[in-house]
Amino acid sequence: MNAIAFLLGLLVLSYLGSILVGGRTIRGFGLASGAEYLVLGFVLGPQVLSVVGRSLVESFQPVVLVGVSWLGLVLGVSYLRVGERRVPVPHIALGIALSALVSACVSATVFFGASYFSPLPRIEVIAFAATAGIICSETTRHSVRWVVERYGAKGPLADLAADTARASALFAAVSLAVINAWLPGAALPTHSVIERVLVSLGLGVVLGFTAALLLGREFRRDESWGILLGTSLLGTGAAARLNLSPISTTFAMGLTLALVSRHRVDIKAMITPTEKPVLLPVVLLAGANVNVKLPMPLLVLVAGALAAKVLARVLCGSVLSVTSKPVSGVGLEFGGSMLSCGALGLAVALAFDVRHPGVVADTVLLLASVGVLLGEWLGPASLRRALARAGEIKPEVPPEGAQPSLPSEA
Amino acid sequence: MSGHSGPKKTRGTRAIQAAALLVTFGVLYGVTRVTPELESHLGTVAAVGFLLLAGTLMSELLETIGLPHLSGYLLAGIIGGPHILHLVDHHTVAELSPVNTLALSLIALAGGAELRLDTLRSVARGLAWATLIQSTFVLVCMAGVFMAIASFVPFTQGMTLKALIGVSLLWGVLAVSRSPSACMGILSQTRAKGPVATFSLAFIMLSDVVVIILLATMLMLARPLITGSGSISLEDFSVLGHEILASIAVGVTLGLGLAVYLRLVGRQLLLVLLAIGFGLSDTFAYIHVDSLLAFLAAGFVVTNLSGQGPKLLHSIEQTGSVVFVVFFATAGAHLDIPLLQKLWPVAVALCVSRAFFTVIAGRMSSRLAEDPAILKRWGWSSLVSQAGLALGLSVVIAKAFPAFGEGFRSLAIAAIALNEMFGPILFKFALDRAGETTHQEPEVRPSLPPSAAA
Repeated sequence: MNAIAFLLGLLVLSYLGSILVGGRTIRGFGLASGAEYLVLGFVLGPQVLSVVGRSLVESFQPVVLVGVSWLGLVLGVSYLRVGERRVPVPHIALGIALSALVSACVSATVFFGASYFSPLPRIEVIAFAATAGIICSETTRHSVRWVVERYGAKGPLADLAADTARASALFAAVSLAVINAWLPGAALPTHSVIERVLVSLGLGVVLGFTAALLLGREFRRDESWGILLGTSLLGTGAAARLNLSPISTTFAMGLTLALVSRHRVDIKAMITPTEKPVLLPVVLLAGANVNVKLPMPLLVLVAGALAAKVLARVLCGSVLSVTSKPVSGVGLEFGGSMLSCGALGLAVALAFDVRHPGVVADTVLLLASVGVLLGEWLGPASLRRALARAGEIKPEVPPEGAQPSLPSEA
Repeated sequence: MSGHSGPKKTRGTRAIQAAALLVTFGVLYGVTRVTPELESHLGTVAAVGFLLLAGTLMSELLETIGLPHLSGYLLAGIIGGPHILHLVDHHTVAELSPVNTLALSLIALAGGAELRLDTLRSVARGLAWATLIQSTFVLVCMAGVFMAIASFVPFTQGMTLKALIGVSLLWGVLAVSRSPSACMGILSQTRAKGPVATFSLAFIMLSDVVVIILLATMLMLARPLITGSGSISLEDFSVLGHEILASIAVGVTLGLGLAVYLRLVGRQLLLVLLAIGFGLSDTFAYIHVDSLLAFLAAGFVVTNLSGQGPKLLHSIEQTGSVVFVVFFATAGAHLDIPLLQKLWPVAVALCVSRAFFTVIAGRMSSRLAEDPAILKRWGWSSLVSQAGLALGLSVVIAKAFPAFGEGFRSLAIAAIALNEMFGPILFKFALDRAGETTHQEPEVRPSLPPSAAA
């Protein structure tokens, strides 16, 4: 397949994604995480049908980079609000703490497992462990939204699920900035890791402020696109050139916009609908990049990381069932619901693959992909059970009769 | 090219824009100094962001002194380009060629959609005279000028008179090519309406076809003169005829398809335009269809055979507000400043004489067509700009005559650079003086309430 045909294919996917966003009648259509596109990419990719060859996938690296960074911007801009509701600070703190805990468990498992069972050099073991932890720390908000909209859920548990899922992005963005600054090859070698992290995030903050100032008092939609695209691409490209984390930079930019721009609501309304059209091609490219022909120790490590993630999530749910009123009595199900992952995890894995192609990147991408499939299998069902047991949805409500409780997003 | 000339902006706004421009340059300057050796796709992403942001801000700042936005985009590209600050290198400029393809297809589509049959009928007489006189008089005069200054042109040294006549004719063709992109850029920014705007748009879009035919004719005539062997072959005309007919046929089909889509679906036009711009341009090149002509025909069909023209134009304007900035800023970065420094005396002479003969031809054709007074005065103003089309012709000529092709192309690039910089300024000035520019305010509104945005 040539590049133009492949690009047209990606545009068709974007088109499909935009229809999924735009059509209220088919909201809830498809799988929550977009896992079907991941599988489609894998089937089309070099591992199965080879319709999309390795070199073609590699030539689309800039598209991947821009796509994952744009997702970072979307996550940043929409970080503080769920629909009309502002995310409470305790929920943000809880979401970050849960992510950190899961990340620590997974990283520790991978670190010890890789140290003993794989021939990887120590620096790669650390990179692998840290990135695996970041990938597993995410809970996709799409899964929560999907369940909430499909079953018309409403209540404190649905809110908590939506809020903690959203909050998990901050941990991932900052951790990614740290790991990218720490890895060899980052620019500014004479500066400390902390300084490089500050450059990653500071670049986003500066560009976010710049965009907020330029958008000014009045909101002109056409100008706003130019400014938002220009600043985000500049941030993405600059961070990528410095071998820092573009996702962290654009996330910081989005968060800055959400905090300081008087047009935060307009910006969110503009940018959020672009997420699905960007996400589907990125997920497809992720699927096409997946390499399953890895050494056995690395495959075992992937399984170990996923097991650690499941255990950590269940543990988190159990603790919350005691400490948090909405989760009371549904801890196990709530823990299971947090297994859903998607855009951010794949974006982190793809960004890692762009920067450090090799066996570790392949393993990380495989982990993210299998995590998406596992989360798709366990997450939405667990959340639905938790919400039903909490009395926030009626179990007998048929999906096709459901009315979305949240107009655009959970 | 976004039409956001809008309401007067305060000094505070301008100060913020200037500061943001400095930040934009500063960020990329810092990054390129830290990682100067990078030659990969990663540089392209930063370059697109830089060109988009810097172009937009520069155009806003130059607006305060009455210059068109297009000049701002070009200037941002020139300053950030490989010859001054080196923020965008040659490799990156080459990598951005898909943006050019997309922009040119959008420009042609919009140009066709702007051409209404009733409007064309109203300027048909003027168009016919202008096409005839601008194409013949300017071609012959510029060929004469080129011959007159040939002793100062390095690559013509030692040529026989016959060969010199051949090269001069080729230069004449180059001189009669115009810039649809610059014309559309200025019209889109100023939202100009009136005889000068209508005439300029119609003339420049149609002249594209004329120039293609003229080039084939002159190549046919010049080849035996320059090479001193061979004979005139009509085969080129046969190929050209097929190409033009095929382009129109494909364009009409595309236009009908677009009209049906706009009528029945009418959504996600950004993605549809991207697919058309990226996908079809390459396909057209593969099947030897002139994409500019095909897209022009498609836009024309949408406007004149369906009621979907305004919807198409609105979508192109929205997409173009980003794409065109990058396109023109990339063109600025592409300008070969050292070459211009080297060849500027000859290039200036050629540009000034081209502008002079264009004005004379404009006056002559207006008199013969009995155009309105405003058209007699300013009808020529849009014809000075040159850009992508002229560069394309120079590449074709350079390939056809390798013996002097590179020298010819270098001089062409230098002359086109001058016309590219000053032509749009002249056109905007003319539109302002003709009273055809409006100060219509773009959509401005206070921030959405949360419920509306949710």
